[in-house]
Amino acid sequence: MRTLTPTRPPAVETVSPAAPRRVKRRGRTVATWLLVGPYALFLAAFGLAPAGYALWTSFVHDGSFSGGRNWTAVFDDYRLGEAAGNVTTYLLLWLPVLLLTVLSLAFTLHARPGRATGALQLVYYLPGAVTGSAAALLWLFMVSPDSSPFGPLLRLMDVKTATDALSGGSLVAVLAVMGVAVHAGGWIVVLYGALTALPKDVLEAAQVDGASAWRTMWHVKLPMVRTYVAFVLISSFASGSQVFVEPTVLSTGAPGQISPTWSVNQLAYVYATQDGDFGKAAALSLTMLAVGLLAAWIVITRTRMYATDTR
Amino acid sequence: MKRWRAASLAAVAALALSACGGTGGGSGKSGDDKGELLVWVDNTRTPAAQEYKKAHPDLKIRVVTVPPEAGYVPTKVSLANRTKSGWPDVVFLTNPAEAATLASDKFGYAAPLDGLVPKSVRDGFAPGSLDTCTFSGKTYCLRNDIAPTVLWYDASLMKKYGYEVPKTWAEYEQVGLKAAKKHPGTIVGAINGKYGAGTYFGSSGCPTRDTLSLTKVHIDLTQRTCTRVADLLQPMAKAKAVTTVVPTDPAFAKLGKEDKILMLPGPAWFGDFMFGPAFKIPKGRIAAAPMPTWPGETTSFAGQVGGGAFLVSAHAGDRTKEAVDLVRWMTTDVALQAKQPTYPAFTAAAQKWGEAKAKDPYYASDPMPALTAAAGALRPGFGAVRFEADWQASFNDTFGKTADSGGNLRKALESWQDKLDAAAKTGEYTVG
Repeated sequence: MRTLTPTRPPAVETVSPAAPRRVKRRGRTVATWLLVGPYALFLAAFGLAPAGYALWTSFVHDGSFSGGRNWTAVFDDYRLGEAAGNVTTYLLLWLPVLLLTVLSLAFTLHARPGRATGALQLVYYLPGAVTGSAAALLWLFMVSPDSSPFGPLLRLMDVKTATDALSGGSLVAVLAVMGVAVHAGGWIVVLYGALTALPKDVLEAAQVDGASAWRTMWHVKLPMVRTYVAFVLISSFASGSQVFVEPTVLSTGAPGQISPTWSVNQLAYVYATQDGDFGKAAALSLTMLAVGLLAAWIVITRTRMYATDTR
Repeated sequence: MKRWRAASLAAVAALALSACGGTGGGSGKSGDDKGELLVWVDNTRTPAAQEYKKAHPDLKIRVVTVPPEAGYVPTKVSLANRTKSGWPDVVFLTNPAEAATLASDKFGYAAPLDGLVPKSVRDGFAPGSLDTCTFSGKTYCLRNDIAPTVLWYDASLMKKYGYEVPKTWAEYEQVGLKAAKKHPGTIVGAINGKYGAGTYFGSSGCPTRDTLSLTKVHIDLTQRTCTRVADLLQPMAKAKAVTTVVPTDPAFAKLGKEDKILMLPGPAWFGDFMFGPAFKIPKGRIAAAPMPTWPGETTSFAGQVGGGAFLVSAHAGDRTKEAVDLVRWMTTDVALQAKQPTYPAFTAAAQKWGEAKAKDPYYASDPMPALTAAAGALRPGFGAVRFEADWQASFNDTFGKTADSGGNLRKALESWQDKLDAAAKTGEYTVG
């Protein structure tokens, strides 16, 4: 979400200024531009321009038009099907677990606030702070039944060695666990922040009306933070469908065990870096962008996320 | 509407700006401008490169330590190709298969060295070791170290159990099956990724990656040199005498600690870097024998698992001579190579290197006769391919998986063939 999806917030932000114009006042317009301007600039420089350049790269080779060759080559590549399958399984596993983890932990923190709340948020955030080769080693040991604190659990799932854990169907589960551990912390902080900003009077009213903690969560708090949940969902879908860091990091700890084209984004990376084919890499990256935008569009329209004045 | 127009204008402007930045070569601070020799080596090779720099104060040399990760050098060279600047003049590869990528037309990075390094020097390398660097008769790299396979074994355990060190693969199979039955958990080999494919299929001469040129590769797993490996391993996999656990897995170290590794055919570097440091097998127990021989043969052919190589850039221009000189020194200087951690590719250096190794108290007996024989008998037909990673992954997905589930290994070769064919094609090879 931090580094993987530079394009998602743009989709979010460009929609907001398009809200109905109520007052046509010069001062307002200037203020709006002052606020939106810097973002628009970054969006253009680091979102639209690279995307435009990618489009150019995918169609033009050495100054001449190469037609749809790159695009057909990408969709003909047997690795794309495998990678797409892997990523789909990953999303199906990871997204619900992540959302449930984030929601349950954030709501629990909010329902029982105490001195430990701050410390706990830090604890949830920690796994995401370990990166690079340290993370590779850490996770390699986590999935090795002989050294892992979860050894008995792994053995229960018929994982006897790290080789078992990183091969076949168990690899996607390992990556999903890794993904949840790394990403949940940040979202818990965000959602907890949203919860603490909820109007006290509404919550008190619910309490006076005799709503249980569960009902308060389900019927009062959750609807009010709905847009935040939608945002978690969009960003996570985008970063999940572009999953790259987890399999890459894990494969540095276990060289040769994980295919370098396990995920779609890795395949795009391999096109550019190992095959020296930036055209194909650009074509595949744009496809990924389209998937992410489509998902964002669906979530935004379905949750009426930015319908500010109908609320 | 107006806002959208403004935004799109800004986008166009930014696009124009970024396009300028891209073609203008803003960085331009590669070796080219300063006449500086840019050398990329891994951590292990850095002191030697620094030593060369010190010995040549008249030359401007910049030594950069690069990570040893697979794919790092192609990634950087690919980016340099894009910006048309910043290529290193000399580069060390921890994965020599990458020579196939860097020499390809698309990368056009590696310079052919035939005219730059005399044949007499090239002939000084272990026979067949430069095959990795050679495509269509042109040599694109010099090997730094090689990783021929030998039959490592635990001499104490062999003696304790009363087994003879096998000379043929048939004997190897017998010992393996017997040991697995009488001493449950004991293994005599590992079949995972490059360790399995490079050791067994490599030594048998099975054409899994026989490069005919930079764009043509011979893959045919129906050959007897392939099926005999499947037949050999079939009963052994069933009896769990060979394991699919990768030797770098902590679980493999556990096998070592529990005295379960009776034999392990594997690369030369296993001796110094795996048995002691990783598997924790005490000194005085490990010994090396030549690889067992295949039916109808008397030579103990070795497979290969690893090694390193040096490349010179085709963009080095007037620094080419200096670049080649550095590479020659790094790979062939006997005194320097004798100090390096792994088996030198240059034969004269390997002899000198072996003098120390022969006296190494870690080994139960001098491993050098076996290592020297292995270096002299590299099985031909094991080329550098652009689909090295898929070569490993597909082996595990087909052969490894089948061995685990007790399936038919000959059948697994068929699916491995399919995957190799597909991988070779995406690597822009024609399979013949």
